[in-house]
Amino acid sequence: MKNHLRVLRAEFNLSQAELADRVGVARQTIIALEAGKYAPSLPLAFKLSMVFDKPVEAVFIPESSDSSDG
Amino acid sequence: MEETINPTRQAVHRYFWEFGVSICAYVVVIALSRNYYNDVPIQCKALLALLPVIPVGFVFAAIVRFILSTDELQRRIIVNSLALAGGATALLAITYGLLEGDILPPPSAWWTYVTFMASWLIAGLCVRRHYQ
Repeated sequence: MKNHLRVLRAEFNLSQAELADRVGVARQTIIALEAGKYAPSLPLAFKLSMVFDKPVEAVFIPESSDSSDG
Repeated sequence: MEETINPTRQAVHRYFWEFGVSICAYVVVIALSRNYYNDVPIQCKALLALLPVIPVGFVFAAIVRFILSTDELQRRIIVNSLALAGGATALLAITYGLLEGDILPPPSAWWTYVTFMASWLIAGLCVRRHYQ
């Protein structure tokens, strides 16, 4: 699943570690999310969108033929 | 910026602490068990030999607690690698079992443990790499 996490993180001037701390995950999880290698659960997607004060669909881009969630 | 406590980082700290203490306890118990093994009556030998299982149980509990308290991707990596390691160990056990007897000698039970842990390590590295 594609997302705008890297761009939003830069806009909010947050490091990967800071974003990880905000949502309570490991930094490796943020790296995997930004690389599009992992599709988050709904609760994590909501937590991330709340950090950037945006709706979930503005952060994550659903793909019809998505197979990147491992 | 509001200070937050990252539950995943806390889980890692707690895991290393619990794992470390349990391993130290294991080393102490196994040393005591081996030291007094010849001094106890025959009825107590099995009990003394099995005493190190208690700290190993604490290691197991630390691993389970870590899996339950870490974040969703780390949990997925651990569970996937455990599944792969279990499958690889079973495959090797079946292969060896078919050759055991005339061709190969009966293995020590320790080999199952060593094979599983080695498979878990290799599978863990492969699964982690998949998400990088």
